[in-house]
Amino acid sequence: MMDAAFLDPEVIAQWGRDSGIAQMMYSRWGWPIVEAFHFIGLCLLFGAVAFFDLRMLGIARGVSLTALHRMIPYGLVGFAVSVTSGLLFFIAVPDQYLYNPAFQTKMALLGLAGLNMVLFYAFAARAVRTTGPDDLPPLRARVFGAVSLLCWLGVMTCGRVITAFRPPWHWCLWC
Amino acid sequence: MNDLFVAIEHSALSLWMREDPYAYFIALILHAFGMALLVGGGIVLCLRMLGVGSGARLEAFRGFLPVMWLGALLAVVSGVGLLWAYPAKALTNPVFALKFACLIGAVLLTRRAWRIGALSADPRRMAGLALALWFGGVVAGKMLLHTYKVLTVG
Repeated sequence: MMDAAFLDPEVIAQWGRDSGIAQMMYSRWGWPIVEAFHFIGLCLLFGAVAFFDLRMLGIARGVSLTALHRMIPYGLVGFAVSVTSGLLFFIAVPDQYLYNPAFQTKMALLGLAGLNMVLFYAFAARAVRTTGPDDLPPLRARVFGAVSLLCWLGVMTCGRVITAFRPPWHWCLWC
Repeated sequence: MNDLFVAIEHSALSLWMREDPYAYFIALILHAFGMALLVGGGIVLCLRMLGVGSGARLEAFRGFLPVMWLGALLAVVSGVGLLWAYPAKALTNPVFALKFACLIGAVLLTRRAWRIGALSADPRRMAGLALALWFGGVVAGKMLLHTYKVLTVG
């Protein structure tokens, strides 16, 4: 299942050593500094996206959704910072992530959040743009908002417990 | 101080937090949720006061405050649980004080920026400082894992 070269932990780990990324991550402050960036990115992402979702669900009526949406690009910057720093963790110890059920679930939820976002922009964003500052957006937009919020809380939960599911000392339904 | 740490470590709550296979992780997850809601809201308020999404009335953002309060409550309750599990770990680490200094400063400066904005003055400088402190509080919290010197004393 995991035999594609880009998913082979040995190949990735070797590349990590050759590129110097592994050495950087295992220097005294390498891992903590990258972790700091990961969390700054997460805060920006969650702030911008989750509070937009909450507004769609009816919290803070009076805040214009169109205006609030201008924060989403900052959330995307946060996402880019999180992905970049996350990749550095992954490259440093790929086997600890690839075979980790918490990490696998986190990636699946990220995919679901991405799909949900695409569907939101395809089917609900236009109606949200014409929603007045005091109004609720249509039901489908609220559903996309709720799914997004649940996905990000799930991503956070999985991220938090990755350390508890490090192979080979873990229990898992499917591995 | 050591006696206090030992007394806490021997309390039923502390033992349960350390020995139950789920308690500590559940507290960690709730702490993450609480901090995300609190700090996420703080960031949204600061971004707005920095001029992002200025088409929305600042006053209306008050509606997000209950969410931030809920976050603060979750973070404090779960945080006390985490602290009770390993009191010496946190209270002998200066970074723990730094985390609180950042977060308290972030709350105060966000409120200050809000008042400046409500007076139709320019809150951007204050909001920028507050934003930096929100990030600082989260980063300091994350660094607790990498900077503690003692885990338990009992």
